[in-house]
Amino acid sequence: MKLSRKTVPLCALVLTLLFAATEFNPISAESRDQLEKTDQLTIAVRRLTESQYRHTIRDVFSPEVEINARFEPEQREGGLLAIGSAMLSLTSSGFEQYFALASSISDQVLGDELRESVMPCIPVAAIDHDCVRQFVSRFGELLFRRPLSAAELDARVATAETGASQAQDFYAGLKLALTSLLVAPEFLFRVETAELSTASAHEYRLNAYSMATRLSFLFWDTTPDKILLDAAASGALYAESGLQSQIARLSESPQMAEGIEAFFVDMMQIDGFENMVKDPAIYPKFNQLVSDSAREQMLLTINDLLITNGGDYRDIFTSNKTFINRALAAVYRVPYTSQEEWAAYEFPEDSERAGLITQIGPMSLWAHPGTSSPTRRGIKIHEIFMCEPTPDPPADVDFSLVQDSTKGTTRGRLLDHMENAGCSSCHGRSDPAGLALEHFDGLGQFRTLENGVFIDVSATLYDGSKFTGAQGLGEFLHDDPRIPSCLVRNVFSYGVAQLPRYEDRDYLQEQTELFANNGYRISTLFEEIASTAEFYHVRIPEGIKANSEVIATTP
Amino acid sequence: MKFRLNRRSLLRGMVGSATVSMGIPLLDIFLNENGTAYADGSRVPVRFGTYFWGLGLTDTPAGGTRWVPEKIGSGYEVTPELKAIAGLKDKISVFSGFRAIPDTKPNLVHWSGHASILSGTAPSTTSRFEAASFDTRIADAIGTSTRFKSVNIDASVSRRPISYSTRSGSTFSSPDVTPLELYNRLFGEGYQDPNSDNWQPNPEIMLRQSVLSAVTDQRQALMKSIGKDDREKLDQYFSSVRDMENQLAVQLQRPEPREACILPRAPEELPKAASVDVVNANTKVMARLLAMGLACDQTRVFNFVHTGGTSETYIAGERKIYHQITHDEPTDTLLGYQPQSSKLAGLVMEGLGAFLEELDGVKEGDGTLLDNCLVMAFSDTGYAKIHSIDNIPILFAGGAGGRHKTGQHIHEEGSSVTRVSLTAMQLAGAPVGEFGTGSMRTSNPITEVIA
Repeated sequence: MKLSRKTVPLCALVLTLLFAATEFNPISAESRDQLEKTDQLTIAVRRLTESQYRHTIRDVFSPEVEINARFEPEQREGGLLAIGSAMLSLTSSGFEQYFALASSISDQVLGDELRESVMPCIPVAAIDHDCVRQFVSRFGELLFRRPLSAAELDARVATAETGASQAQDFYAGLKLALTSLLVAPEFLFRVETAELSTASAHEYRLNAYSMATRLSFLFWDTTPDKILLDAAASGALYAESGLQSQIARLSESPQMAEGIEAFFVDMMQIDGFENMVKDPAIYPKFNQLVSDSAREQMLLTINDLLITNGGDYRDIFTSNKTFINRALAAVYRVPYTSQEEWAAYEFPEDSERAGLITQIGPMSLWAHPGTSSPTRRGIKIHEIFMCEPTPDPPADVDFSLVQDSTKGTTRGRLLDHMENAGCSSCHGRSDPAGLALEHFDGLGQFRTLENGVFIDVSATLYDGSKFTGAQGLGEFLHDDPRIPSCLVRNVFSYGVAQLPRYEDRDYLQEQTELFANNGYRISTLFEEIASTAEFYHVRIPEGIKANSEVIATTP
Repeated sequence: MKFRLNRRSLLRGMVGSATVSMGIPLLDIFLNENGTAYADGSRVPVRFGTYFWGLGLTDTPAGGTRWVPEKIGSGYEVTPELKAIAGLKDKISVFSGFRAIPDTKPNLVHWSGHASILSGTAPSTTSRFEAASFDTRIADAIGTSTRFKSVNIDASVSRRPISYSTRSGSTFSSPDVTPLELYNRLFGEGYQDPNSDNWQPNPEIMLRQSVLSAVTDQRQALMKSIGKDDREKLDQYFSSVRDMENQLAVQLQRPEPREACILPRAPEELPKAASVDVVNANTKVMARLLAMGLACDQTRVFNFVHTGGTSETYIAGERKIYHQITHDEPTDTLLGYQPQSSKLAGLVMEGLGAFLEELDGVKEGDGTLLDNCLVMAFSDTGYAKIHSIDNIPILFAGGAGGRHKTGQHIHEEGSSVTRVSLTAMQLAGAPVGEFGTGSMRTSNPITEVIA
């Protein structure tokens, strides 16, 4: 990762934000004999995201299962929900939701319509011990992403049989067992474990099922399938050839589009569209359909450019090939002649559009209910695409010096801010990229005037780079070295759901070079990262209890 | 599972808990018999809630203020920004001059203020508290005999749901964000009419209990060889499972009749906008549902967010949002304050007025529901233009069943906000004698408001 920009304090800041404090390294044991053979450490507990939950239910049972629930809010850390998921637990109201949802899924899966396609056996009586065990162990493995322990299996079998004998109905009991799997922490959280490596008695390695899970969620955004779990069970994943054949299988599948899309939804913060509000008096064309369509447009664009066509990642800042529907066409003020719901469309040169970030989605999301916001747009561009988070504003800024701007434009008001030393430290960084986008209002509609005054869209970044307008910004971003290095860092962090460590610098640098050599292709980047040992690296969390005396003996 | 506070359990709690000291005023609270009663003579429970609004109230650079009354003690005068609560002022105490004290930590703007009030500790990072929010301690004390230990509501129509209630400091509760969601929680599936003559236990509930026992059976295996943070996450998960078990246990018991309880009708959908008129309308509808939820004893603890810390509400049709205005608007030289900000502050307070009126509109015992509540309303900042965490406005509304000596203005220049929080906990019935850390550590509640 290259951090050769000129402002030194900024670099220091970025470095501290980019790299998590160095945690202590793979722990070695004095001797393997000191540990029980079954010894496993839980090294991470991550809450399943909404999309991972939905994909898992669909893939394990059926696409017909309806999932109507409100999921617990997710939280972004280090720019990614994936990292935030490792910090979240479940609140009481969240658990209520999952409990009700689990019952509803069980009712559907074991209801009249789906039961036949799902059941591995036909029960011979209300109590059919073997059939319950078959069901619980098959679906338990897919849901827990590893085979169930005897105790886990027995507990569910007991639940099913109690219920079945009370209701004198096999499926009534089995529904309870399935519900119990679906509310278990082993399902709702991705529990990653490490075990002593067979190759070296002094190192922990990621458990094969945890490897399979990392792979599956990265490539497919869903639970590992039976083939992947079998590769974990046989130990094949520990061998280079076994790992490579699984990576090849995962990346050749059309399901990989979902994995890549899930990554971009997380990284580009393509969320919040369902809660976006605009003032109807100022933006009469805005409604929920526009908001939902704007999101869809972003996904279609990414899909087409980066997945279907395997294009150069950097082209998202310059390519104007996209898709529109009738609702968006009205906001873009272009005719919509297609009879289909969506149609391919390419913005002409004079539209001043430049790639994904100038679409309605980002332009309206990174704005206020009644105005554009160059500050918010600039912050988001730096944070999302360049991995440069803007620090919190200092609390002691003397706002009493800020006077109402008499300039007619938002730009004028912000430039007034920048004359104030207290404001300029942050606004000087955040605003310029956003100022270049001022020809798009708070809904992403093209304009050249604001309050009757022509809007100047020239901008100078804090490092001295100059450009004009959205297209100038797009070209600048396309060629900026921070863009690919930030993406590589994000794919890695997303996959391991952790901030990179300081020691990962060289590794990330190498991966960035490889990414460039491979033509900035996303799918190749996924494959490369999943092929490296760093992707499966075990970080022992703080305060682990078992065998503390062994763990304390660092080499 | 079920526990009631009586003198004996309180004493047990004192011995068993980590609480260091319990002041005399606290004991007085538990011993007093001022509480109101239902017609049949049974005691009306005390309810507790927080009410949060963003961006504080307006001070003036010259040292004046648009909200702090001049008169101290009872019979304070109504100031411009408190106009919305004028009708209920005899049931409301106003606290001014209290501040969050971050010691060596930075003032994290729009975060340190309420994080300090709620958790007692100045936060180190935005988005997290260093400790649980104190409403959870009240819920643990008074919320275990109802279906919901607490109910969380966000009326702000924000991009992301807002809640400041947390047990772990990092996972915040997921609030109901529309009237319909709130209605479904309180009166949808699982609601049992406390006044029904032919109540029967639902046998399904016992089956649902068996689902959870299979989960909790595995707790030990899961907790083996695990790091500190992961253990905390799973602890919270299992505590949520326990709350669910408690909820099911409550549903298996015949509910006590509640004379004030009338099942409300499902609410209509409101327009989706974050402008202050819509947020206030939302607040009113959700307050009405909540009031009935309290009257029907579905919960005794709630947390209500009107607008978030960096409030994005605005006056419909105007381009700038409230947050932007608080910073940008210059002080009017003639008036001596920011007129537009002060206008918005007044509008935001109308939300609180409407909220409290809904609670006061429900007759209960020989008074109103509000008389049996303690609502602690507060904000993230004092004077928002400069991100001040001095003089953060805090109000106590409702009589707390006779425990709260209402209608006073308490002014303590520079005193820690945690003193107000501690007072709230004690008035609400949580066995807590000390609260906060660093300069905000206190075992000194505000005795003037304790009856």
